[in-house]
Amino acid sequence: MTRQHHWLDTLSRREVFGRVARATLGVGLVPALSHQLEAAADGTKPHAKNIIYLMMQGAMSHLDTFDPKPGRDEQGETKTIPTKTPGIVFGQSLEKLAGLSDRLAVVRSLTTETGAHEQGQYLMRTSYPMINSIRHPAFGSWAVHAMGKISKDLPSYVLVGNGNDHPGAGFLDPSLTPVPVADPTKGLENTKRPQYLSEKNFDRRLALADRIDRDFKQRYAGRQLDAYNQLYKDAVRLMGSVDLQAFDIAQEKPEVRDRYGDSKIGLGCLLARRLVESGVRCIEVEFGGWDMHRDVFDEMDEKGPQLDRAMAALLEDLEQRGLLASTLVVLATEFGRTPRINENAGRDHHPGVFSCVLAGAGVQGGAVYGQSDERGFRPDKDPVSVADFNTTIAAACGLPYEKEFHAPNGRPFKIGGGGKPISAVLA
Amino acid sequence: MTTHLVKPPMPRAVTCLLVLLSLLAVGAKPNATGSAKAARAAKRAGQQQPIKLPAAVLEEPTGPVMEVAAIDRSRRPQVAEAAGEIDRLLAKRWKENQVSGSTPLDDSQFVRRIYLELAGRIPTFDETTAFLADTSASKRAALIDELLESPDFVSHTYNFWADILRLTERPQKDVFFEPYLDWVKRSIAANRPYDQWVHEMLTADGKIWENPATGYQLRDKGMPLPYVDNTVRVFLGTQIGCAQCHDHPFDSWTQHQFYELAAFTSGTRMRIGGMPEKKSGLTKEEMKQAMKDSRQKNAESIRQIKEITQQAQQQIRAKKADNGLRFFINANLTSISSQPGKLLLPHDYQYDDDKPLAAVSPKVLWGDIPADAESLDRRGQFAAWLTSRDNRQFSRTIANRIWRKVMGVGLVEPIDDFREDNPASNPELLEHLTDLVLTLDFDLREFVRVLVSTSTYQRRAVLHDPTSPSPFHFTGPALKRLTAEQLWDSIVVLIAHNEWAFQRPTSAAFEKAAEIDLTAAGTSYETVEKAYNSFQDAYGIRQYRTRLQKQYGFQGQVLVRASELPGPLPLGHFLRQFGQSDRESIEGSRTVATVPQILSMFNGPITHSMLVPGSVIHDEVMSHEPRQAVDVIFLAILSHRPSAEDRAFATQEIQSADTPQAGVGNLIWALLNTREFIFIQ
Repeated sequence: MTRQHHWLDTLSRREVFGRVARATLGVGLVPALSHQLEAAADGTKPHAKNIIYLMMQGAMSHLDTFDPKPGRDEQGETKTIPTKTPGIVFGQSLEKLAGLSDRLAVVRSLTTETGAHEQGQYLMRTSYPMINSIRHPAFGSWAVHAMGKISKDLPSYVLVGNGNDHPGAGFLDPSLTPVPVADPTKGLENTKRPQYLSEKNFDRRLALADRIDRDFKQRYAGRQLDAYNQLYKDAVRLMGSVDLQAFDIAQEKPEVRDRYGDSKIGLGCLLARRLVESGVRCIEVEFGGWDMHRDVFDEMDEKGPQLDRAMAALLEDLEQRGLLASTLVVLATEFGRTPRINENAGRDHHPGVFSCVLAGAGVQGGAVYGQSDERGFRPDKDPVSVADFNTTIAAACGLPYEKEFHAPNGRPFKIGGGGKPISAVLA
Repeated sequence: MTTHLVKPPMPRAVTCLLVLLSLLAVGAKPNATGSAKAARAAKRAGQQQPIKLPAAVLEEPTGPVMEVAAIDRSRRPQVAEAAGEIDRLLAKRWKENQVSGSTPLDDSQFVRRIYLELAGRIPTFDETTAFLADTSASKRAALIDELLESPDFVSHTYNFWADILRLTERPQKDVFFEPYLDWVKRSIAANRPYDQWVHEMLTADGKIWENPATGYQLRDKGMPLPYVDNTVRVFLGTQIGCAQCHDHPFDSWTQHQFYELAAFTSGTRMRIGGMPEKKSGLTKEEMKQAMKDSRQKNAESIRQIKEITQQAQQQIRAKKADNGLRFFINANLTSISSQPGKLLLPHDYQYDDDKPLAAVSPKVLWGDIPADAESLDRRGQFAAWLTSRDNRQFSRTIANRIWRKVMGVGLVEPIDDFREDNPASNPELLEHLTDLVLTLDFDLREFVRVLVSTSTYQRRAVLHDPTSPSPFHFTGPALKRLTAEQLWDSIVVLIAHNEWAFQRPTSAAFEKAAEIDLTAAGTSYETVEKAYNSFQDAYGIRQYRTRLQKQYGFQGQVLVRASELPGPLPLGHFLRQFGQSDRESIEGSRTVATVPQILSMFNGPITHSMLVPGSVIHDEVMSHEPRQAVDVIFLAILSHRPSAEDRAFATQEIQSADTPQAGVGNLIWALLNTREFIFIQ
């Protein structure tokens, strides 16, 4: 952030655009940035325009990452390292993030009732418990709904990962469903017509399909089909877009890739950065494998450094490009893990207390909010519900978190689930 | 048992032209074969083109592909009667709610729906035309029976259970699941009664290749509490998982009850090493003595295992062997047995009804342990209680599960969340179906046979809005998108003349490669390492995938049935794009729309495989007169003839395209990209 201010002091806005545009390999980006820079230049409170949401699936242990309990039996084999923030330590595998702790706001007192992965992830993503009668929208869909698209052609919401359990757009318009990218190294596949097929012939095929399909579409007009109808349009528009190269991480130099690491989360973060540069509003990166019922310390040795490297590189890159002032980075997980180490040297599910992290736009760097008890078992101070946490995210994005939105069934919902924003972690 | 060919003999892959698209280069001349249809196609094509599809999928199967238990055709009247009772119950509901049934399906719509339902794929051109031409009054019942005893039914049902049981080749690095996967498949083919099948899974002992049913318990190896949670969720439709940590917030389950139930299976051991043979009926004292004897007797083998394991670790550390060796040894040390064991409450137990770390006595959630199971060990008691006829929730859960599979929506939704405040939308019907499961002695295939024989099932699909406040009245089945597997298998049969070219390995074949007795006299580190290396060549996941790709792959897609592909498939795979589960969470598959799905249908290799000479649809079109092309394509892909209007339009489209071939390609592509193709009417 400091670097960005420096730029603004010494360069004209036009020069800034040019510089950043060059840095992003010519991918169309200006609309996204102009918004943010204008806000910053006017001296208004910086709100996030883009969101990168890193979802640690399987429930990341709080004791071995952001909320260690040094000296306690519960800590097991995980040692701790000091951070830039006085008095705050992290688990040893988060070395780089420890050095960036002044950019992070760590919330150590999240607490839920839900110890099942699917339900827990659903709650984190939507702010509402999973129930039978309604599908709630994920936060990213809310964000796009409220803030609109940035890039005209690119999807506004991208999910790097599997996405089978993702709530998607819920009851909002199907066009707000995230576009999944299964493998960051492959990007968005099948976006080119086969060589033999001319554009004219492609259009011809589409028209033919449309015509043959009209009776069926009419008979079953409704949400299920609409979702597909809408996506056919999106897919066609996407196929013609020059901005598609945003999805190609092969355009990054090997040394850049190396800084992020050759892990799922590393490549996912790199892709997320490129997409933010090109005007994708919201990106979620899934990173599974945290369900460490066995050998938690061995597993942490593998997973922890991958996360550390990836997230640190992401924050540094965003900052260097002046994008951290307009991008909110969230590190989330569905619940914590038991302080007690089980007979398989693992930790089991523990929704009682866990940690999540915010960084970037709208966030007070260096903040540490809430506290778990001496064993890391339940919140000792300032408990934070999932709704509080998500409302804080909404506040950082400048979204109307107190406003009631109505689902098609007439029930009222709020972005963030109607919690209270944590002002101590907001800039 | 009867045996079946996959489908009526199909033309052998052949020399044909119709470069539907001019994308094919010339290569070696393939062997011509004798099928009349193919010969006609070749003749019409007038010139020879190379076959690009893998040879293995082009050769029709030479013998039966699978043994499947026969259907009792003499039971048709009883099936019809049972179906009629369900229709009457539904009709009563319709009347009460002033709604009426949707339009009955015509034969074209029926043949497509029933193939997708029972065979897991669309019917081929030949299958559709044969059914449409059949004039007998009982042709629907006859087709249902035929499909229920086909390998396709086994494949489709396997996919259904694979999603529920989280089936994958390596659920953990040291758990080798091939024997279990084969066992599940064979159990379906033999149509084993559901209660016996489940009972066997819950009580199986031994190594996985000796007793493949142990796979069920191994799926949650090292996680005894989630195991109980998952088992109750899958077989009793009840969620007690929250109570693992605290009293259930929305339900009546307490943490104490959870532990009481878990106490039944907490004695399950998963590793060999000095444990005595399990015998039921031993007293505690006898069991203790047996364990002591066994430890002495096995002292030598324990020493030998230790030695081999240590040496392996040294070799791995020295980078002379890879990590897989450790998993191979572990897999061979894995053997399930039931031991007496105590389950303690967690040390932070917070309720007043008991103390932290107190030992818990086993107790079932409701009802009683059947009298004839009282003398069994705890795990045996649990299995007997769970699968008992008196435990109606067991029958009710499967009745609701199969009902949802067939009708699209459960009578209780979600199907694994039965609770007092989540009642069935039609309780009378649900209890009736539960009785039917019991009357049929848990013959689930027969249960399916009844459901698809109802007149309600044979009506047009209706829209179902899960968020609607009014209940769904089943005036027809709910509109469904094809599952990922149905879509894949449908496309594969449009391409491959033999989609059964590859089947997953049998338990016996796998045992041969994987089993090594670490306790046998003379087994040394060297013999283990050698066995590991040859095992890797045959079943190491990477080697295995590469081999499949080489033999059955076309542009990166292995053209065999979804049920035979090793899982979980990579994220970018067509099946995963369309929502196949990663097999980590129970019923993780989805049918929601995404952009990559559409891009895949537009431009992906799988769509274009069928435009290649040698593909089933290509040969089909070429073996007919050009003026029939439009009808053939409609019948092959959408299972109906085009309307007069569509026929005229499509014909004109073909004629006005750059070349007629390109026109045909355009039409095939267009039909695959209709909503009608990916939904079931």
